[in-house]
Amino acid sequence: MSTPAISVDGLWQVFGTDAKARLKEALGRNDTAPDAASDLRESGLIPAVQDASFEVREGELFVIMGLSGSGKSTMIRCVSRLVEPTAGSVKIDGEDILAASPKRLIELRREKLGMVFQHFGLFPHMTVAENVAFPLKMLGKSRAERRRRALEVIEMVGLDGREDAYPRELSGGQKQRVGIARSLAANPDTWFLDEPFSALDPLIRRQLQDEFLKIQSGLNKTIVFITHDISEALKLADRIAIMRDGRIVQIGTPAQIVLNPVDDYVREFSRDVAKGRHARLDSVLHTDTPPQMPDDPKLRLDMTLEEALANCMSLYEPVPVWDDRGRMAGYVHPSDLAAALQVDRS
Amino acid sequence: MTLLARLTPGARAALLVIAVGALCMALDRSANWLPGWPDALTLPMTQWVGDGLEWVFDLIRPGVRLISALLEYPMAGVNWLLTETPWPLVLGATVALAWYAGGLSMAALASVGLGFVLISGYWVEGMNTLALVFVSVPLALILGLLIGIWSNESPRARPWIEATLDLMQTVPTFAYLTPLLLLFGFGPVVGLIASAIYAAPPMARNTALGLQRVEAEVKEAGIMAGATRAQQLIQVEIPAASTQIMIGVNQALMAALSMVIIAAVIGGFDDIGWEVLLTMRQANFGQSLLAGLVIVVFAIIIDRISARMATSGQRFDLRISWIILGVSVVAAIAAWALLPPPGDFALLAPTVEAVDSGLSQFTRGAGATLDSIKNNAMFYGLLPLRIGLDSAVLPFTWGFSWTPGMSWIYYGVAGLIGLGVALTGRITLGASLVILAGVFETGISELPWPVVFVGVGALAWVSGGWKLTRLVVILLLFIAIAGLWERALLSLYLCGAAVLICAVVGGLLGLLSAVSATAWAVIRPVCDMLQTIPLFVFLIPVLMFFQIGEFSALLAIIAYAIVPMIRYTRHGLVTTPAELLEAATSSGATKWQTMKEVRAPYAAPTILLGLNQTILYAFAMLVIAALIGTTGLGQSIYIALGSANVGLGIVAGAAMAILALIADRIVQGFAEERRRALGL
Repeated sequence: MSTPAISVDGLWQVFGTDAKARLKEALGRNDTAPDAASDLRESGLIPAVQDASFEVREGELFVIMGLSGSGKSTMIRCVSRLVEPTAGSVKIDGEDILAASPKRLIELRREKLGMVFQHFGLFPHMTVAENVAFPLKMLGKSRAERRRRALEVIEMVGLDGREDAYPRELSGGQKQRVGIARSLAANPDTWFLDEPFSALDPLIRRQLQDEFLKIQSGLNKTIVFITHDISEALKLADRIAIMRDGRIVQIGTPAQIVLNPVDDYVREFSRDVAKGRHARLDSVLHTDTPPQMPDDPKLRLDMTLEEALANCMSLYEPVPVWDDRGRMAGYVHPSDLAAALQVDRS
Repeated sequence: MTLLARLTPGARAALLVIAVGALCMALDRSANWLPGWPDALTLPMTQWVGDGLEWVFDLIRPGVRLISALLEYPMAGVNWLLTETPWPLVLGATVALAWYAGGLSMAALASVGLGFVLISGYWVEGMNTLALVFVSVPLALILGLLIGIWSNESPRARPWIEATLDLMQTVPTFAYLTPLLLLFGFGPVVGLIASAIYAAPPMARNTALGLQRVEAEVKEAGIMAGATRAQQLIQVEIPAASTQIMIGVNQALMAALSMVIIAAVIGGFDDIGWEVLLTMRQANFGQSLLAGLVIVVFAIIIDRISARMATSGQRFDLRISWIILGVSVVAAIAAWALLPPPGDFALLAPTVEAVDSGLSQFTRGAGATLDSIKNNAMFYGLLPLRIGLDSAVLPFTWGFSWTPGMSWIYYGVAGLIGLGVALTGRITLGASLVILAGVFETGISELPWPVVFVGVGALAWVSGGWKLTRLVVILLLFIAIAGLWERALLSLYLCGAAVLICAVVGGLLGLLSAVSATAWAVIRPVCDMLQTIPLFVFLIPVLMFFQIGEFSALLAIIAYAIVPMIRYTRHGLVTTPAELLEAATSSGATKWQTMKEVRAPYAAPTILLGLNQTILYAFAMLVIAALIGTTGLGQSIYIALGSANVGLGIVAGAAMAILALIADRIVQGFAEERRRALGL
């Protein structure tokens, strides 16, 4: 396997005076990270991110989900080094960005990294086109080229015609389109999105999510996406990391998060989620010797539980499941499907 | 012990002060070191500071004189430009700018205003003043911008920079002048430098504030785009903070104008401030009022145009500005030979004479009434506050003389009332009443110094804990050791009286403005006006009616210092969140219940900040009021200026700043405590 696009290892962010030395002391005194964290908290420091480790593969859409105060915004600021992490390492394409010199960091940000902010972070004194062209200006591109590329990205996010408007003249949804366009202007490989849709109305939010997926399917960037909305996470993510009180409590695919939550905290999140919509048949598949199967509702491996159940509502015996080449991949019990959908209804 | 623990900090502090006061009274006869700070405990600080500064000045004088010589050039240049340019052109350029910034109404304001200046015959003097402003303001802006950026860039330096800015703004304006006079010698450069120094802090503050207030995400967006620190500052943060920075420019302009006028007291420059001073000294009030109005007109035009440019992005058709300018050029050229020199206009001379004769008629007619107003205020209000009932009550004014027996009865009654109030549970209020009664009996200027120390210290303790108490006591000690104790108490008394009146009257006007839109529509323009007028001009009307003296000074201070009290009170009362008001209404509260139970408590921190501003304004005006006869630190500073006594000027200025600083910190502490209590 090639080097991961982003790899975070043992990352700590502790706020307070003299955090670095005191974190070291606390780690010396305690065996586990949670103990060290509570130790720090007792002495008046704030461990916002505790011993976080994860990897993001190239082209993967990695979502970090957590409630407010769980440390997810701090986490993305550590990874982009907008704040200086207290300990740990962050590698982007194998390069340790915590060790990067200020000059190298500016280079990296100009060429490789793009970021979208929750409250848009648009420059109030610049037009849409000037906002979008700002990263290109930093790259030293000519005025004409900046304008050309800016208009190109503005068109991609569907804002053509508004390029000479000022941010104050735009709606929230339009502002975030500008934010997205700006972050893509310099064509970065790595894309950070900090709750990009949280400040928007539900309708606009869904619309932008869909467009975001469409844009991403054409660009295939490595993405770290922050959200507090479980359904947004499940909808967008290749993999999800769930954060609580500064710790990552579970990393997994949407199906794993929904069907196999590691603890009550994660289970609580997915309580109101229609699980059948996010889990596929492979999560309940039996591959041992099949029993007798009188019926064949033609279930396919890539069906969601919900779709599968709709096809065998009146069946009680095990049914076969077929893969995309027409071979039998295994079997499922219709009752398992129903049970998997109902896990947390009690 | 348990009783003591049950008392609130306020009650404990008040009871302590009463105890110390009672002790001082008991010792009164045996200890003659009680009333004033003993001379034996003073140090010749004035002398030392004077000598030290003289030494430093001798060292840097050549360099400073060089700067001064260099500054002569731009000043002479701008001065020449403004006075030699035909007046239609200056007028046209101003109106063109006013149109561009604010359209027809602004252009009308500018033409009427400058037209008034022209026909007043004070055109040349006015241009001399403006020349000083236009040279000093760029200096102040550059200085302020740099300081603001520095404060933003260096979190370590920030507290020091802020403390210095605080100091620069609380040190009384006259106190700047003495050392500058010694350094630069007589002449307009002193006014120039003084106004640059005085105008820099608002610019620095607004720059720093604007930069800090740039949204975190906007800053982060710049960083993530790969901007270097310099690119980030110049292309992102400063433009994003431009509104706040422009407000700084507006405030710097106003401060510079105010200071240039004040600096006229040193003379040597034929400007409009000097004209006011001169005519005022000649008791030529009609003429003085006219010159004062010219200053006010300048202030209003400069303020409104720059404020409009700061707060509104809307600009008007530039082509019309060019047309206005073109017309004025044509007019200037065409009528070159015909134009009368601007100083020759005297269209208002008859008006001035009418005002003068009207005034003398009025004072002849109403002189007795005015005198009785003044005398009543002095004998029954100010004097007792200053020297106490025990000395102020004389057969000549009150019809009887105060005897020690009366003191006993007075204290007995006050004590009983205080006790009565305390028994209803409001111990702090009861004790405070007794303290106030004591202050009135003794007089602020004759309070024993231990009482002042303990009283101010206790107040500081309630407001901000031991740390503030320590600071306050050390600062008071400085004043005492410097030998300025009695003068400081005199300043405290006049300021206290003015602030008290401002708090009551201003608070009521603020309340009225909050409940009645009509009242606010009347009061608001008056407030705007009072805030635009340079300090100096306040002296003219009070002198016209009440002559030189403490009462006139008091009125001038009140007129200037009452504005923030009105504004903040109203602002606090009307900005109560709508949900709170709806909650009160739906609970069945009447209008006045809502005011008392919801709005007033919610507004308390804001009102306290208004009081704080009022105190600072009062101190600022107190020094200017020294020109018309006060006896306190202000007078010392003024005397120091006249006799070029730099030591006295600096030390008295510092003492004044200390008084303002103490008041500021204590009131801020209370405001902070209220804000915390409300969870704001």
